[in-house]
Amino acid sequence: MRIFVIDDDKMWEDYYRRVLRGFDLDFFHDGVAAISEMDEKRPDAIVLDILLTGPTGFAVLNEMRSYSELADVPVVIVSSVEIRAELADDYGVAAILDKSTMTPKGFRAKIEEVLNAA
Amino acid sequence: MKSEVVAGAQGDFVAADLGVGSSALVVAHELKAPLSLVRQLALSLELEEDKDGVRRVSDQIVATSERALRQVNDLLKVARLEDALFELEPVNPRAVCDDVVGELWHLFAFNRRELRINYRNRRHLVVANRQLLHSVVYNFCLNAMNYGGEELPSEVLITDRKDGKIRVAVRDYGPAVPTKIWREIKDGFVNRPLEIAMRPGSSGMGLYIAAKFANYMGADFGLIRHRDGTSFYIDLPLSGQLCLV
Repeated sequence: MRIFVIDDDKMWEDYYRRVLRGFDLDFFHDGVAAISEMDEKRPDAIVLDILLTGPTGFAVLNEMRSYSELADVPVVIVSSVEIRAELADDYGVAAILDKSTMTPKGFRAKIEEVLNAA
Repeated sequence: MKSEVVAGAQGDFVAADLGVGSSALVVAHELKAPLSLVRQLALSLELEEDKDGVRRVSDQIVATSERALRQVNDLLKVARLEDALFELEPVNPRAVCDDVVGELWHLFAFNRRELRINYRNRRHLVVANRQLLHSVVYNFCLNAMNYGGEELPSEVLITDRKDGKIRVAVRDYGPAVPTKIWREIKDGFVNRPLEIAMRPGSSGMGLYIAAKFANYMGADFGLIRHRDGTSFYIDLPLSGQLCLV
C-alpha cells in the first residue's frame, strides 16, 4: 500500500516513517510536488497537513478532487491547526486528526481503517 | 540574479508590539508544533523494539524540546531588551557560529539536512552581545533547516564588508522567499511577527526575534533573494579591540 505524506515540517518525517512502518511512504514538503508525482504514482491514501509552504492543504485537496483519477483517493488530514469537522464532508476527507492530541497507535489504526474501507 | 533588502538598524524598527491576542496566537502556534511532536515521539517510544531505535527517538525528543525552550528563552529576552540587560562587547562571530552549528548539528541530521560553515573574514571582532548574536544565527539556521532543500547544505557565512562591517549570513538552497514577505521585511514589517497566513508553516517568529536583537545591537538585518534560495544576514560593526584568538 502506497501512502503519500504531505507535510512541510521535516521534523515529522521520521515519526511517520516509524509509526507507518510497513507501508510504502513517499514524502512531500509541498503540495505542488505531491500533485505532480500523482501523475506517475497513484497513492492508496494521503496524509495531508494543512499549513504547507506554498499552496495550503485545502488548495491541494481542491486540485486533487478536480482530477477524476484522484477524486476518490482517501485523505487523512493531520494538522496542528483546529479544523472544523464539517470540512471533512465539504472536501471528502476520510478523517481529521489533531497532531497535538492523536496517538501513534490511534493514527496508525485510522490509516489502516481508511485503507481497508477504500 | 539576486535582490537584496536591508532593514536599517536606526529607525526602521521602532518599538511597536503586537496586541496581546495576536501575539499570543503567534507564540502559541510556534510552540504547539514542537510540543505536539515531543508528545508524539514520547508516545511512540513503545513502538521501538531495539535500543538503537529508543535512543534515536530519545535524541529527537531532546533536540526538539531544546529547540522549543530556546524559542521561549528568546521571547523572554525580547521582553527584557528594554531593561538593557544585554551589554555590547567585542565578540568573535566565528566562535558564536561554531557554537550554533555544534548545537544544531543533531537537529539538522534528524531532518536529513546539512549545515556547513564558510568563514572568509579577515577581521575578527564585532561589537555585539554574544547571547543575542547566538540567537540571531540560531534562528537564521532554523529557518534554513525548515525551508532549505535536501540536495545542498545550508551555509553559515562570515564575510568582511566594504563599509567596514562584518556580515554573518545563513544561506539556504530552498524555495525563494515569496515577494510579499520580501516586501514586508523591506518595509520593516518584521518588527511584528509575520502573519501566519503569509507563509504557511511559519509564524515569522524567528525573523521577528532576529530583527529585534539586530536592532538592539545596532546592526543591519536583511535578506538576499537568490534564484535558488535565500540568505538572511546581519551586518555588525567592527570592534576596535584586538582579537587575541
